[in-house]
Amino acid sequence: MPECDNPLWPCAMTGAAACLAGFDGISVVIHGSSGCYYYPTTLLHAPLHGTFILENEIIFGSEDRLHEVIGELSGTGNRIAVITTCVPAILGEDIQSMLAEQEVLLVDSPGFSGDVETGYTKALSLLAPQTDAATEGVNIDGICLLDPFYKGNLQEIRRLLGRASVPVATIFCRDTFRKTRTAATCTIGTNDDFISGIGNYLGGTLGIDTLRATFERLGAAFEDSDVDPVLQELSEQEEEIVRVCDKFLRRFDPPSVVIFAGASYAEFAAQTLERYLDADIRFIGTRNAGGSSRFPAATVTGLKEVKTFIDLHNPDLVLGSSFERSVSSNRAFYGITPPLRGAVRLAPVPLVGINGTLFFMEQVLNACMDHTRRVPG
Amino acid sequence: MNLKPSPTHISRSGGCTLTGALSVTTQVRDAASIIHGPKGCAHHNFSLFHATLIDNDQAVLPDLVSSALDESDIVFGGEDALARSIRSVCGRDVPAVFVLSTCIAAAIGDDVEAVCGRDWPVPVIPIPTAGFLGGTFQDGVNNALIALADLTEHSQTSPCVNIIGEKNLEYEVEENYAEIVRLLTLLGIPVGIRFVHGLSLDEIPALGAAQLNILRDPSLVPVGEHLRKRFGTPCIPSFPTGFSDTLAFMNSVADACRVDARRALGIEQALQAGILADFADIGDAPGVFCGMALDPESSRAAREAADALHIRVGGDPEAHPLPVHPVVGTSGVRRMLHRWRRAIHA
Repeated sequence: MPECDNPLWPCAMTGAAACLAGFDGISVVIHGSSGCYYYPTTLLHAPLHGTFILENEIIFGSEDRLHEVIGELSGTGNRIAVITTCVPAILGEDIQSMLAEQEVLLVDSPGFSGDVETGYTKALSLLAPQTDAATEGVNIDGICLLDPFYKGNLQEIRRLLGRASVPVATIFCRDTFRKTRTAATCTIGTNDDFISGIGNYLGGTLGIDTLRATFERLGAAFEDSDVDPVLQELSEQEEEIVRVCDKFLRRFDPPSVVIFAGASYAEFAAQTLERYLDADIRFIGTRNAGGSSRFPAATVTGLKEVKTFIDLHNPDLVLGSSFERSVSSNRAFYGITPPLRGAVRLAPVPLVGINGTLFFMEQVLNACMDHTRRVPG
Repeated sequence: MNLKPSPTHISRSGGCTLTGALSVTTQVRDAASIIHGPKGCAHHNFSLFHATLIDNDQAVLPDLVSSALDESDIVFGGEDALARSIRSVCGRDVPAVFVLSTCIAAAIGDDVEAVCGRDWPVPVIPIPTAGFLGGTFQDGVNNALIALADLTEHSQTSPCVNIIGEKNLEYEVEENYAEIVRLLTLLGIPVGIRFVHGLSLDEIPALGAAQLNILRDPSLVPVGEHLRKRFGTPCIPSFPTGFSDTLAFMNSVADACRVDARRALGIEQALQAGILADFADIGDAPGVFCGMALDPESSRAAREAADALHIRVGGDPEAHPLPVHPVVGTSGVRRMLHRWRRAIHA
């Protein structure tokens, strides 16, 4: 693997922690040093535990320390999950055997094994969620603590499902551990970069067309549902988006855009901006290996590449994280992927659902108009 | 013989040498830092520095390069990946390259010093780190400062004073520095270099020219001792904490620099008296100290301020929580008192 300048995406260990820490009823233990522990703790804002191992435990073995930490956590009734970091993963200790007497979920997800999605997927597969035909409603998928929009997404999808009289079943991954054993047989998505694969997937909720199709399927799948209020709201609000964008286009040219994000959000942003603003999508740099796109796209993992693509395509608008903002000069910018540093965010903001598209377009239009006023001509 | 000594007396929360060393090397603005390890280690640190620099209104991001070790490198060794990274970075317009290793690179036995010692077109300087296997965050800071100090020699002494080992990840790093500059200016003593904060490589030789070094805190005493042996420069072990400590600090600096401190001390004492008068309205309130970490120096400074204002600390169930944070100088105490006033009036 070639060297990487200022890597932009967290490691597999952080991904595993992002998955497991989303479940109440699981005590997550990072088996590694304090340095490895601090990063996911500060990033996820979730309670994590650590073994905080020291050099002598690398030399003489970490079994005593693991038992000490797990012993402190046992008796809480929580399932304990241990995530290995890089050095413990190569020590050759048989951690599974060490912990045989406790019912511990061991997730071997060291940082060198891949990026955040690798760890997230591995942790979720080891958790082995189960569906239960007796569970009413639909699961919500793609909720990840790493995602700055996760709270807003959850709030918005709950609102829409409530309007459609469809009960919410299990939320992957922000729910109780108990509910992973009784997930519903149908699932809708929010962010396909963190897909669980649990249940029959009825579709996503990013973007107006996708949302409409998914709620039509929900209407067909649930006899007692009434999706008409959602479909009506959707049509009304889309008209509002069209009206506002039309007004923008009377005065301004469509923006040229370069997007950096996880594949799912990046594709949503590109399609939405092209549809409502006739935007010129010059390049998509995905953090992860995304699916196919009809826009020019490649995986971009380092800040040097980001700067190269921004300079090359010279866009009016950059979407990305605060990393991208730092190399965007005075271009219009809106943040859609973590980290989003340097700005206060208190209210839950969605990217999915009706309000997600409304909020996204509102922010983009304001960023473009503010920028045009700042830099006339 | 106990082969598994209890780690009870060893800090488990000391952080990572890599982060500590990077907090120094990334402040050499024109040099590059290579992190020899998986991409995640570099990302974690880059993200941390990004957040800290934004908090401190600095738009410039550090230039961190990861050797991006993957599973194959872990099995077969990562020295080739490191050499490839050094070759790539040497091809850029940098006067020097710092190489910092991670715990996983140390665990697989990569000989980082040997790779750095090859014939490269610019100086390639290994910094002893090795993640948590190399010690704590503070060890990383100290090792990096010592490695950088060894890049230069003693030069002709100038009347200035150097600032050594500022906490570059500290939220108030610029305000704390400004307070020290204010105190030194009162004494009529010029400030030399900030070793290391926002330097270029060619400024480092000024390190050996100062008549005195002021350390950020006592954990840097090994660095201060190293500088004393290398350049003959005496040091003061810490920035001042609290009112009386600030006056003592000014006296110590004045003695070391052989200047008359009487006028400066008079001005500072008047400033402190004025601050206490400004906050007389919160006197007599009951309070209890609170904060993330109440180190002895901060507690002493807080107690001194509380006593001066006749604030009754502890023992009262109705006591207001008084936030205590590490304060520097007289200005630091004033900011803490503003937080106390907010808490008391809340």
